[in-house]
Amino acid sequence: MLYRTAGQFKTSYQADQALFPVRQDAFLLAVILAFAWVIFPLMASEFAYQTLLIPILIYSLAALGLNILTGYAGQLSLGTAAFMGVGAYACYKLVTLMPWLNPVVAILFSGVFSAGVGVAFGIPSLRIKGFYLAIATLAAQFFLVWLFEKWGWLYNYNASGAIQVPNLEMFGVYVAGPQASSVTQYYVVLAIVTLMTLLCINLTRGNLGRTWKATRDMDIAAELIGINLMRSKLTAFAVSSYVVGVAGALFVFMWRGAAEPNLFDIPLSFRILFIAIIGGLGSVLGNYLGAILIVGLPVVLNTLPEALGIPISSATVEHLNIMIVGSLIIFFLIIEPHGLARLWALIREKLIIWPFPH
Amino acid sequence: MKTFTRIAAVAALGALMGTSALAEGLYTPNLAYRTGPFAATGIPLMNGQADYMNMLNARDGGIGGVMIDFDECETGYSTEKGVECYEKTKGKAIVTQPWSTGITLQVLPKSNVDEIPILAPGYGFSPMADGKVFQWAFNTPLSYWDGASIILKYLQDQGDLSGKKIAFLHLDHPFGKEPLPYLEQKAEAQGFELLPIPVGLKEMQNQSAQWLQIRRERPDYVIMWGWGAMNAGAITEAVKTKFPMENMLGVWWSGHDADLKIVGDAGKGYKSVSWSFPNPDAPVMADIKQHVIDAGKSQSNEEEMQGVFYSRGLVISAILAEGIAVAQEHTGKAEISPADLRWGLENLNFTEARLEELGMTGMVPPFSTSCSNHTGHSGGWILEWDGAKFVKASDLIMPDSEAISELEMAKAKEYAEANAPWPVNEDCEM
Repeated sequence: MLYRTAGQFKTSYQADQALFPVRQDAFLLAVILAFAWVIFPLMASEFAYQTLLIPILIYSLAALGLNILTGYAGQLSLGTAAFMGVGAYACYKLVTLMPWLNPVVAILFSGVFSAGVGVAFGIPSLRIKGFYLAIATLAAQFFLVWLFEKWGWLYNYNASGAIQVPNLEMFGVYVAGPQASSVTQYYVVLAIVTLMTLLCINLTRGNLGRTWKATRDMDIAAELIGINLMRSKLTAFAVSSYVVGVAGALFVFMWRGAAEPNLFDIPLSFRILFIAIIGGLGSVLGNYLGAILIVGLPVVLNTLPEALGIPISSATVEHLNIMIVGSLIIFFLIIEPHGLARLWALIREKLIIWPFPH
Repeated sequence: MKTFTRIAAVAALGALMGTSALAEGLYTPNLAYRTGPFAATGIPLMNGQADYMNMLNARDGGIGGVMIDFDECETGYSTEKGVECYEKTKGKAIVTQPWSTGITLQVLPKSNVDEIPILAPGYGFSPMADGKVFQWAFNTPLSYWDGASIILKYLQDQGDLSGKKIAFLHLDHPFGKEPLPYLEQKAEAQGFELLPIPVGLKEMQNQSAQWLQIRRERPDYVIMWGWGAMNAGAITEAVKTKFPMENMLGVWWSGHDADLKIVGDAGKGYKSVSWSFPNPDAPVMADIKQHVIDAGKSQSNEEEMQGVFYSRGLVISAILAEGIAVAQEHTGKAEISPADLRWGLENLNFTEARLEELGMTGMVPPFSTSCSNHTGHSGGWILEWDGAKFVKASDLIMPDSEAISELEMAKAKEYAEANAPWPVNEDCEM
């Protein structure tokens, strides 16, 4: 009914391979974008910006970066948080060494450093696969966090060992630091995330994306049809680490405002991996759904008892929250092991053929 | 279905608009951690804080005739949750009690914009003592640099420190690194050798490598800056390696009764510096027992109430309550604003007489604050574990304020410059 595709004829291959072969998809996306760009900013409170909108976007972007590597190119990585850290520290050094630099340029440029580090740690992927590669990326995780702690130059020899985001201006408006307003930060994050998502969708649909998928599905076969595995794997590491690094810079500069080295430790890597897995490996939409479930839902659940006027202690809410989110994760993975994106794809398919199931 | 949609709508609305449940009185949220890896040390502190405020509400009907709406927001000691709680509570809160160095560092730069005082008693960033720069932050009554200074003074009394070797066993985290600049300065001035030994967050429970190093280096003293699981780890490891306990000293967060009960008699002689001390005979304890514990409004119990941490929680709430009372007296209104509370906290005067009035004699050393001094530098006691509980092992020792305030001003200035534009309190003449 809602998804009736009758009458939408495709007359060329180009139309068949378009980003939105079904018109309703484009319409749905337009509605979501309208919400993100216009309606949320009009009605969101400071609390909603700082605990829901901004973090969900940033976590989605980080998961998207990981998904390129793990979901599209099939290289399992446990070092996402460390690559985010590289982005964040690079951005910190850039803006403190060159205070005149435009903050958005600094954020986009800091991803280059993390891409470089990612490629360096991706070299072992040419020889090892699967769980063994996961262990190699785990080494990146431990080494980089250790480096963030020990290399004083990275945090400008600050006594506490933490980095603090200074007030940064762009066209006379503060975009980062304590003086920046949430709505500006939200728009900066939204713009960068939209841009990155568009880039990633097109990359994964294009030539590069197909070589990644071929590498993932069977590397020997891919090599036989003439794909250069080294180039395929290293570009996946580079693009993935770039996106993750930008997410890391946004994480600290547009949201947290300060960071200590152990923030980029393994729990954050796991969190992003969970978002990618629950959302669905090998999909772009899944990262957003996963981030909403893992980052957004606990916050909403935390405010529920108070909003409904149920007197219950904050610690109990926290315990309940962990139980509810945990069981939801298991529930979703049981009904659809391929993640939320696949679940949506199934629902959409059912809607298209409704009311006549096969 | 209809009710479900309605609930969902309420939930969505609540989440988007920020919750604004109406409550009576002065809202003083506490970013508590009763869950997570640090819960064991958090619970007695949180109970002490909550019980004191509940006692004031039950006994006096609040402060100055206004009830105190003391609420907890659970963080589990996670910085991310801490920021969530801060955003949730800042709308109507008159104070922020961040309860972790990580959360304090996040909230500190926002304090100038949101104009809500941060009360971080005995933790946070030592240069916060410079009230002209950190207008909205308070770390009464002692900063970490004061604590390090008191420990060194105590050791100096035991014998000249020059030529001695002091190991500094600390958590590899902003909290643990905090006293390093001061200790390094002192090591040079007094001629002792400082041996910093970091303990990573992942190695807290297994410190065999660190203690192997201590055994090899044979330091004369071990100073410990530990928190949570690190304390118990270090103390059991010290017992195992037969390090002389009387030569081991910790900061106030390393003096938790439960950590030492694990080793019992073997921990005899372990010391910890403290700015609070349990006094079971104090009138305030009887009031709490009568109005809160016996009334069933507390989550605490008799045994916990005897401990150092519970009484520290009481002192923390007493500092906040006094700040409110001073502000009410100054402004002449009962419903004070965050800015009024800041004035109150800047004009605290805990004299012996005032402590007796509050029924808290001997529970905290006398101290006073001003617009330029947000710490108070009260001085502290060295407590010693006697095998079953902590007892006082020294008189009140005052920190070496001169050297500290110089370092504070320098570091505060550095911070303000790195975070420019940073407003400074120009009106403060002191």
